[in-house]
Amino acid sequence: MDLRLSKEDHAFRDEVRAFLAEHMTDGLRRAMELNTCFINEPPVALAFHKALHAKGWAAPNWPEEFGGTGWSPVQRYIYESESARVGAPTFNDQGIKHIGPILMKYGTKEHQDAYLPRILSGEDVWCQGYSEPGAGSDLASLKTRAVDEGDHYLVTGQKIWTTHAHFANRIYVLVRTNTEGRKQEGISFLIMDMDLPGIIVRPIDGSGGDHEFNEVFFEDVRAPKSGLVGEENQGWEIAKYLLEYERGGNPQAARVRARLSSVARLIKRYADDDPSLTLRLAEVGTDIDAMEMLELTLLSDLQSGKNPGAVSSLLKLRWSAMQQQLAELALDIAGEDALRWESGRPLYESLQLPPDTEEMLGIGPRYLNYRGYSILGGTSEIQTSILAKQLLGL
Amino acid sequence: MDLQPTEEQQLIRESAEKFLADRYGPETFRALIDSDARWSPDIWNGFAELGWLGLPFPEDAGGFGMGPAEVVILMEQFGRVPVLEPYVSSVILCGKLIELLGTDEQRGALLGEIASGQLRLAFAHDALEGPMTVTRGADAFLLSGVKRAVHDAPMAEIYLVSCTLDDGTVAVFSVPANAAGITARSHNTLDGRRLSDLDFADARIPPEARLGGGTDGRAAIDEATAWAITASCADAVGAISAMVEQTVDYAKQREQFGQPIAKFQVLQHRLVDMKIAEEEARASVLLAALSLDGDAAMRERGASGAKAKVGRAARFVHQAAIQTHGAIGTTDELMLGWYAKRLVAFEKQFLPTRRHLGRYAEIISDPEAAAAPLLREATA
Ligand SMILES: Cc1cc2nc3c(=O)[nH]c(=O)nc-3n(C[C@H](O)[C@H](O)[C@H](O)COP(=O)(O)OP(=O)(O)OC[C@H]3O[C@@H](n4cnc5c(N)ncnc54)[C@H](O)[C@@H]3O)c2cc1C
Repeated sequence: MDLRLSKEDHAFRDEVRAFLAEHMTDGLRRAMELNTCFINEPPVALAFHKALHAKGWAAPNWPEEFGGTGWSPVQRYIYESESARVGAPTFNDQGIKHIGPILMKYGTKEHQDAYLPRILSGEDVWCQGYSEPGAGSDLASLKTRAVDEGDHYLVTGQKIWTTHAHFANRIYVLVRTNTEGRKQEGISFLIMDMDLPGIIVRPIDGSGGDHEFNEVFFEDVRAPKSGLVGEENQGWEIAKYLLEYERGGNPQAARVRARLSSVARLIKRYADDDPSLTLRLAEVGTDIDAMEMLELTLLSDLQSGKNPGAVSSLLKLRWSAMQQQLAELALDIAGEDALRWESGRPLYESLQLPPDTEEMLGIGPRYLNYRGYSILGGTSEIQTSILAKQLLGL
Repeated sequence: MDLQPTEEQQLIRESAEKFLADRYGPETFRALIDSDARWSPDIWNGFAELGWLGLPFPEDAGGFGMGPAEVVILMEQFGRVPVLEPYVSSVILCGKLIELLGTDEQRGALLGEIASGQLRLAFAHDALEGPMTVTRGADAFLLSGVKRAVHDAPMAEIYLVSCTLDDGTVAVFSVPANAAGITARSHNTLDGRRLSDLDFADARIPPEARLGGGTDGRAAIDEATAWAITASCADAVGAISAMVEQTVDYAKQREQFGQPIAKFQVLQHRLVDMKIAEEEARASVLLAALSLDGDAAMRERGASGAKAKVGRAARFVHQAAIQTHGAIGTTDELMLGWYAKRLVAFEKQFLPTRRHLGRYAEIISDPEAAAAPLLREATA
């Protein structure tokens, strides 16, 4: 067992570093440092994404036949880890990481030809319409209806917490196509253009001052039937496949480690004399080391063709907690400085303050926004219950 | 990068599981706890026959040339018993110290005898740096003073004794336990093992007993200590994993309110947290093990990081395991109490958890060090 990069992987890492050095401009770096949301907004990433696309690197997790990189798991890990280290943005994960893989597996040739190239090029921005006011953790109880009206579905209902719906031109939704039987069995997976008549997007501002998510209303929307992915009533299986696909494909240790490093810098600058802060930082540091080892073990399992087992819930549970602890630590370092509130967003465009203290302005919003980490994508309680079954057979 | 266990490593694990299941069940453990010696020559010989007592030594010194990854695999199984014999003291700490610091002659004389089971050693190092004075006589060093809390000293034939000399170098002397001028005051420990406070009164140590001739011993002591910390962290992970397993089993069969207590969500979530603590602790031990062949900074980061992380897991898991068992958890009726005590002892040995956390904190207070990924240069 060892942690050394092979010669080829080493060369690959250098290539990634060279690319990042060229395309992480000072402006982009500052924008990312002042980003307060759990993911960056698509526009800030567009130029960078186009550079990736030109190099053939737009979709690290896709196979080559669909225009992906065809990288090995280790190469993907290196790429994710290097780009996280320099704070590189991601462009619309809902496209590249979510709907893309679903269309590759369940989409028709037409779906694939129509959508995949536009995801790669950054022309399309996607959003995910799963949650509803009455269907959160119990997602399968969703009520948004799609009724077969011959040449189209008539869609009525409401989605909520739809991240970046205000940037998106396309949406994938889970809709109810059957009200009988088990609730999971009456759900279908439907994609729509956001400019269809009857789709209305209303913003929801987070308490951190950012507009990340929205309500999306469907008022008698006539959705073309060509938007059905898979079979009717196969939607639940499709949504679950994504979790399967993501297993190990979504390493986070490097992102959390980059935050660890920036909090270490904050301590150096503002609170060098308080050992209680460095000890808390160290606890998170040891947590990140363990998490990175678990990710690398998973990677090694994948690499050698083994089934990695039930670790994705474990990793989500833990990295969300670590992100929150670091945001909290930053808040504690900042003291009263974190109370200065700048309401303009994005921060990097609205700031009038001396650059040496502008980083303070992101700390309060980030702390508040990061509370969402343990809620989005399955709450920590739900992940823990999944693990009780998967890991312990309870 | 490859984290798949080799065939040989799997074999070590399997043979450890088998030997310990056959020869070192709870009855054996309890019989040893009731004995004065607190260790079994019979078991020790069994370890020797399986090659474990020379596992990490070079082949030319009577060992098997295995690395840290093999050591932690074996140690995790030891922790599941938990084994009382002085493996970490004799083989890892003292053995590695002799290998790293000793002259060829000293290695030849000592390592082979450790590997064959004839010699047990204890390291009188005393983190408190008790007041030892060393005088150079005409043909010997004269040692006076105290070394406190020397683990496993009561079963050792040889003590390795560290001292700072008048020229500022650190010397390590290999001293027979029965040498004139040394008195041992021995105690049982909280977790059922043994330690001694050693009094030295002008103990005469011949110059050839100094490991490595005139070499300063600091670097070797640090390296051997990093090995020992890593090994005892693996031992703790073994105890943690046994506790988690036994607690899950208990919760599945203990019924209250007409159902197994494992049906209560609050307990399910606690059990998951315990399991995660186990997985994370094991992962940080592997990191420590794979850092031992790096430079001093990498070793220290690995060992202190693991000691801090496993220490935290140890405390959380043993408390949660006791709570989940109810009153029976507070007794020695089950093995649970002995694992809890093992984990409390683990936290104290080789400096406590908070000291290692502090050391790790110093290391990562440098933002560059904090940012460094775990995958390493091919040439490192
Ligand atoms: C930042 C952010 C971005 C998001 N983006 C999107 C998006 O793009 N698209 C989308 O569809 N959704 C999105 N969501 C919604 C997210 O998926 C839901 O918030 C999540 O599934 C939880 O649902 P809920 O908020 O209704 O909470 P609820 O399900 O009402 O939960 C409330 C509390 O009850 C607990 N709870 C619920 N059931 C159980 C149980 N069985 N056992 C124990 N505890 C339980 C929960 O853990 C939680 O603490 C986003 C959420 C956030 C915070």
